[in-house]
Amino acid sequence: MSNMGGVGVKKRGWGIGCMWYGIGNTALANPSGAFIDLLNDGTVILLTGCADIGQGSSTVLAQIAAEVLGVELEKIRVISGDTGVTPEGGATSASRQTYISGNAVKAAALQAQKPLLEKASILLKVPVGELVCRDYKIFPRFDPEHSVALQEMIIHCRREGKMTLGHGWFNPVTTGLDEETGKGVPYATYAFATQWAEVEVDTETGEVTVLQLVAAHDVGHAINPQSVEGQIEGGCAMGQGYALMEELVVDRGAIRNPGFSNYLIPTMEDIPHIETIIVEAEEASGPFGAKGVGEPPLIPTAPAILNAVSNALGIRFTRLPLTPEAMLTALQEVGKGEVKKTK
Amino acid sequence: MPEYHIVGKSKQRLEGFEKVTGELRFTDDLKFPGMLNAKVFRSTVPHGSVVQIETGEALQVPGVVAILTARDIPGRNGVGIIVKDEPVLIENRIRRIGDPLALVAAHSQAAADSAISKIRSEIKELAAVFTPKDALAESAPQLHEKGNMLFHRKIRKGNIEEALAKADVVIENTYETPFVEHAAMEPEASIACRDNDSITVWASTQNPHFDRGEVATVLGLDQNRVRIVQQATGGGFGGKLDISTQCHAALLAWYTRYPVKLVYTREESFIASGKRHPYVINYLTAADRKGKLLGIKAEIFADTGAYASYGPGVVTRAAVHATGPYHVPHVHVDAYAVYTNNPYCGAMRGFGVPQVGFAHETQMDILGEKLGLGPWEIRSMNFLSPGMTTATSQMLEQSVGMGETLERVKQRVTDKKC
Repeated sequence: MSNMGGVGVKKRGWGIGCMWYGIGNTALANPSGAFIDLLNDGTVILLTGCADIGQGSSTVLAQIAAEVLGVELEKIRVISGDTGVTPEGGATSASRQTYISGNAVKAAALQAQKPLLEKASILLKVPVGELVCRDYKIFPRFDPEHSVALQEMIIHCRREGKMTLGHGWFNPVTTGLDEETGKGVPYATYAFATQWAEVEVDTETGEVTVLQLVAAHDVGHAINPQSVEGQIEGGCAMGQGYALMEELVVDRGAIRNPGFSNYLIPTMEDIPHIETIIVEAEEASGPFGAKGVGEPPLIPTAPAILNAVSNALGIRFTRLPLTPEAMLTALQEVGKGEVKKTK
Repeated sequence: MPEYHIVGKSKQRLEGFEKVTGELRFTDDLKFPGMLNAKVFRSTVPHGSVVQIETGEALQVPGVVAILTARDIPGRNGVGIIVKDEPVLIENRIRRIGDPLALVAAHSQAAADSAISKIRSEIKELAAVFTPKDALAESAPQLHEKGNMLFHRKIRKGNIEEALAKADVVIENTYETPFVEHAAMEPEASIACRDNDSITVWASTQNPHFDRGEVATVLGLDQNRVRIVQQATGGGFGGKLDISTQCHAALLAWYTRYPVKLVYTREESFIASGKRHPYVINYLTAADRKGKLLGIKAEIFADTGAYASYGPGVVTRAAVHATGPYHVPHVHVDAYAVYTNNPYCGAMRGFGVPQVGFAHETQMDILGEKLGLGPWEIRSMNFLSPGMTTATSQMLEQSVGMGETLERVKQRVTDKKC
């Protein structure tokens, strides 16, 4: 496929990059806690230490709570990242919040729900383990018509002096790493990915245009597929910057390009169509089978792009970023026979 | 009955409407009565010792309420995620350009900025080091008590010599990656308010509970007297895990008893914040003639800059992931985080793995080329599956979708070409 479709000085190529990424802090305890208060009007307050910095964790955690409690997403009010009221959630880093805080929220919701299920179990004469909560109803899994209203169960519980409060926490199962050998279980679970890039190289200007990207990510069960796609697309853009544009110039400790006029990051003009594929290898210990996706998307992008450039030109690059200047230097060296072409 | 009714659905963001309409309030949007503006006076030399900081003229600027230096810190003058090696305000030793020397609070930003320009500092410059190689030289100036080698992580699996003896092909290359800026849309920001013996800080942050501990220790307060409220945050990418504005705003609010706002300009954000570690990676791949990986040997040097931040964690993650998502029977990895007088490096999306990812994926392609195998084939022969062990000898039991991602992308690309 290499060098096909190239016109004149423009050469096309494709390449792939793969990655794996451990979810959670490496070989360290990193728990998260959550509180759930199911109010007597059927609304919910979810308290989590998890900082949503734009990645969408509050929405995902609310989805997990709503799924367990059988209420609409709109009935969940999330209060997050306030040390005055929320338990610790640990850092929003290590692609860990869906997996770890998600499990904490799920545990808290199950605890808040427990008295309701116990009451419904008596009224419906069905064991607690066979009951499902959905659409404000509690019913036996195999007999949805035979239900009681969630709201009524809350009222019953309040009359009996029972609160519908829950707390939960989760810490992934890991071990430390041996100091001499590194042996151990640094993460409870891993995300995986493959990305494919097609590029066009202008051998006159040195510019690389990324024509398209395909990104397949194993995230476990996607709690919110659109949010996962957003993370993948954003990561690809960041990875493209890492491959071709972003270099902080540090000269004797001084940053020479401390601003966006000369520290270039990709804009909509640079970013190609990104096709996302969500692979769901469910994680047994994850909330509803989820793992994580925050960091993985940018990891395979740069190698996929650099491998595509190599496929187009037959030259290998071992230094990032591959700016037009770096490209032209390399092409000149090839012309002088200083760089051995790999193919 | 479907298994789930909300999980697995593309629900709209809870705060989506307010984000789209611009109603969501970020830290800089908050206003408190009597609120002061703040600015940080920073070092312009990469390595030096402070002889004197003269604030007299700056204090005369109309509107200036307080100027603080290191001796005004009531608690511990040191913060850091793993090692508390970064002074909140430099008392003696400067280790990078951008190190904070003094804080100004004033009734306007203009007054604070003007006061900054009138602070005079006398600094004795010291010899500096700017690469891990230079920092590890015997004669190099030592930046911290325990020397310039912050951390060394080793991974050993099998016997790399055996792999090299058996190998039909060995690929060896050196890879280099740059410093990278997080470039979050919103720069670092905090507003601190004192209420008698407690303090609240509204901050743009990725870890409010970590911030609580640091602010409490710096002010000498119990943790339950410090409340951190993570305000709507415009991105972080790892750059808002370290302390930036939180302790400085809290110190000024504690002393002045006024609410104090500290928001970085974009340039200040570039100069003061942590970066992605630049790496130099010596990477060796050994395989048999069919393309099966036998061994990987890697030596990773990460420039961690002036302070530790997440450095030990970053190189540990790099070492653990250095093989890529492949089964490798013999692994020998050494990853080093080395102090220099450069901007400090810490967490950034990918946490040390994008650097090694560039290396292992380039190696895989070159290995394939040597053996006449394409990029798909060489990876298909080696990817991790359930029942295999990783470089740390962890057995992967379930939820290993590596092969499926490879297959799905290949299928999609093949379909496109039809």
